[in-house]
Amino acid sequence: MTQARSVPAGEVYERIAANVTRVVHGKPEVVRLAVAAMLSEGHLLIEDVPGVGKTTLARCLARSISGSWNRIQFTPDLLPGDITGVQIYHQNDNAFVFHPGAVFANVVLADEINRGTPKTQSALLEVMAERTVTVDAVRHEVPQPFLVVATQNPIDMGGTYRLPEAQLDRFLMRLPIGYPDLRAEMSVIMADSSGMEPDDLPAVVDIPTMIGAVSQVRAVEVSTGVIEYAATIAAATRQHPELRYGASPRGSIALVRAAKGLAATHGRPFVTPDDIKDVAHPVLEHRLILTTDAELARRTAGQIVDTVLAEVALPVMSAARV
Amino acid sequence: MSARIAVACVSLAAGIAGTMFGPVFGWWRLVPSIAVGVLAVILVAEICRRVPALAAWRPVIATVAGLLGVVELELWDTTLAGLPTAATGQALLTGVTDSWQLALESTWPTRADAGLLLFVPLVVLVAAVLGVELLRWPVLAVLPSLAVLGLSQMFAALTGIAAITAALVYAAVVAVLFAVSRPGARHSRTVALAVPTVVLGLCAAIAVPLLAPSDPAYSLQDNRSARTPLPRTTNPLAEIAARLEQPETPVFTYTGGAPVDRWRLVVLEEFTGTRWTAPQRYRHLGERVGPAAGAPVTPRSARVTMPDGGPWLPSQAMPATVTGVAPLIDPASGMLLLPETTGPVDYELSWWEPEIDTAALADAKIDASVPPGGLGAVPPAVADLARTATAGAPPSFRAALVLERHLQQNYRAATGTGLPTGHGWSHLREFLLDTRQGTSEQFAAAYVALARLAGIPARLAVGFRAPQGGTGPVVVRNKDVLAWPEVAVAGLGWVPLDPMGAASGPGRVPTPLAAATAKVRAELPPPSDRDTPPPADGPHAAAPEQPDDGPATLLVLLGLLLIGIVGAVPLAKAIRTAVRRRRGGVHGVVSAWWEARDLLRTHGEPATPGTTVRDLAGTATGATVAHELLELAAEVDLALWSSTGATDRGLTAAWDAVRGVRRGLARRPLPDRVRAAFNPRSLLGQRFSHSVPSSAHGKYPKRRIVPAASSLRR
Repeated sequence: MTQARSVPAGEVYERIAANVTRVVHGKPEVVRLAVAAMLSEGHLLIEDVPGVGKTTLARCLARSISGSWNRIQFTPDLLPGDITGVQIYHQNDNAFVFHPGAVFANVVLADEINRGTPKTQSALLEVMAERTVTVDAVRHEVPQPFLVVATQNPIDMGGTYRLPEAQLDRFLMRLPIGYPDLRAEMSVIMADSSGMEPDDLPAVVDIPTMIGAVSQVRAVEVSTGVIEYAATIAAATRQHPELRYGASPRGSIALVRAAKGLAATHGRPFVTPDDIKDVAHPVLEHRLILTTDAELARRTAGQIVDTVLAEVALPVMSAARV
Repeated sequence: MSARIAVACVSLAAGIAGTMFGPVFGWWRLVPSIAVGVLAVILVAEICRRVPALAAWRPVIATVAGLLGVVELELWDTTLAGLPTAATGQALLTGVTDSWQLALESTWPTRADAGLLLFVPLVVLVAAVLGVELLRWPVLAVLPSLAVLGLSQMFAALTGIAAITAALVYAAVVAVLFAVSRPGARHSRTVALAVPTVVLGLCAAIAVPLLAPSDPAYSLQDNRSARTPLPRTTNPLAEIAARLEQPETPVFTYTGGAPVDRWRLVVLEEFTGTRWTAPQRYRHLGERVGPAAGAPVTPRSARVTMPDGGPWLPSQAMPATVTGVAPLIDPASGMLLLPETTGPVDYELSWWEPEIDTAALADAKIDASVPPGGLGAVPPAVADLARTATAGAPPSFRAALVLERHLQQNYRAATGTGLPTGHGWSHLREFLLDTRQGTSEQFAAAYVALARLAGIPARLAVGFRAPQGGTGPVVVRNKDVLAWPEVAVAGLGWVPLDPMGAASGPGRVPTPLAAATAKVRAELPPPSDRDTPPPADGPHAAAPEQPDDGPATLLVLLGLLLIGIVGAVPLAKAIRTAVRRRRGGVHGVVSAWWEARDLLRTHGEPATPGTTVRDLAGTATGATVAHELLELAAEVDLALWSSTGATDRGLTAAWDAVRGVRRGLARRPLPDRVRAAFNPRSLLGQRFSHSVPSSAHGKYPKRRIVPAASSLRR
């Protein structure tokens, strides 16, 4: 068991963010949310069009932690065994020996995850939820901390397989990166000329420090009002007429967990409704399934989350009636 | 101690303002119900001072306590052994909606009826509660009582000593309030300026009308009459001939020692050429009607019994009180109306009998301020007759008597059966030019028409002459029916005349006015001896035009309404802010947040039930308030969501941030600030819901992460 090291979670965030932004320019909010997901022991799905820095961000995050990390390039011919590992028969020992797959690392970078077949994608279900891999009825634990950072292109592009809902639900956040603004893009171009690559980044947080920060995030205070607020938001998505399926209770839990991580990145020992609202989009959008009518009307999950956040009353109403 | 004095002063100021409704309801009738409300407010304020937990509820408690006091005092009959019932609530509601209108529709002082005066203690209670809640700003605290004061003066403006006394007492109370509310050198200058200003202002308001007297003060009662539907009955003028056909039928009886020569039922003022109509200006008869200004008066009384009921009750020219029934009254003519009566009516009537000096009456001029009245299409020959009958004399009381004599000497009273009827121009022309014979109906109607043609304001009264007197009840019968004209005499009022010579007679005791009129009549020079005066320019030349104050009144009312509407929004916001500012702990911090949110909402910034302080900081237009909002957000977060909770320091910081927001908004363009000041949006509340309407999609801005509280925490 690795011993935790007590460094304030806010400082951990500052270290990682400072390290990542040496390569990833103009996206401080995305970096903050990504680090918040890591500190909340959640997995991260980075989704956007090609060329905006998904893989770069994932690599930077992985490189910033001194633990082990593996990269899995998802292709149509990738097999589940390549991910989880396989039992190989050793003639000398006359026994099957487990050869761990790529998931056995502190940080797993699943690049272009939607280019893998559904069968291969499903290989990640167990390890993402339970942090164990079962091969031939034998459970193998992955190292702690364990974090999957996946990237994918939008599903309307060719040669991809849409991630199943069960798989999506296991990602704490789905982060779009978006195009940089003009100034940020100029910085990206200049940085490219200077030759700084993710592999050049040093590890700024070791595993014990990371475990300590995760423990601090778990201890972040969440008041009853904020919990009620998160539950009400999730319930509102379930009642929304344009949604076939709203956020599950796992979504409510994810909302609070992500908000705790975000509060920790601010150095704040308690969660506020602002934290809930700040993480609502990345946490909820990929968990919502729109009705056919809503899709035909070109409604998006993001728009619906916006309306829910605007209409659900703040818990201040019950905390202090004025 | 000074706070207690301030509470007492501001409550007392409201009470004093309320007592200025004295001319409307009677001075002592109002005092108990006003005092109970004021005392309730003072008592509740003291209790809330000793029990801080109740401080936030002080206005509600004070209002409820004051209402209970008023209920116990004024609405005891509607309670169940002192406990309010549904009837009490209904009575209170009626008091708010109807009592002020009923008071305006009544003569003053009104009857001692809670249904009429209930609005006064309620208004005083509201003013006292508001005043106490606004004590943080003494000038604002005085405004509610000033509003009550203004309202009372719009009902009935005080004059003379009463006005001076009331103004000085009120000013003294306000001065004490300012003195105790703003101690210290800096504030003493304010007091030094405010007190003389208030006193001088009030004294000037009193002195100006005294030095330059003008028309009677404006009153909300002007041109207002009772809303009771009036009966649709036959005009008593048209019944005269029919009554004379059945002369012995008794109409009513009366008992009283005072001399009476006539009893009036109706007074008809408008003549269209075919119809005579009575003015529709009835009011509910109050406690007592004072005598009209002019000649000295003597109180008289009589008991009247009408076996067949009204609707018009026999009356006198200046009724004072009526006991036994509650009729409507036209104070200008003395008509008494009981619209919904059936069966016998028995009542005690007291009235004012004018004591007329014969010399004054002989030289009296007609009252030019009285409108001449309508005439319709006058037949040309009648106009010539009017000129001949008065020999073209200028309008005067003597000219009126000359006209009366003309009719007495040249026309005869019809008797027997088949009596002439009708009082339109066709009938009057026939009476004046052809038959020269008629009943009092034609005599009186013709006299009024001719008098108006001669420029003498006149009206037509219908009633009964008093039979020959005797001991015991006097029975008035149909044969006593009489119509007579009355002319307006300057300084004396309406003087009844008798063109048919039927009102007086042997055995009848004349009233002082009738006696004086008879003396002047007897002193008239013979027709051949009278001087020929210069011809008048026209029949209506002597009648001055009356200013029509209808539009002015309407403008004043509209102005007041506008001021009320415009002033209500800022006042309501100020009260709300004061209430919020007094809260402590978590509620105080949240109140600060809501205050900032409402400030921004009135400036058009979008806010929904889900909007947080940071949201507003991110979306508020202009960076001038963003920093303050983020400071406020830090305090709200600490107070509401952390185990630290609210602290006094945090509360102060939160309201400091609100002040910063206010300062930031004050830098916006003037039109925006004016619009925000009167924008009622934040007062209308907003819908808080956990459901999301589909129509709301797309109207909310995308959320963006704003700086954290930690970056601002000190």
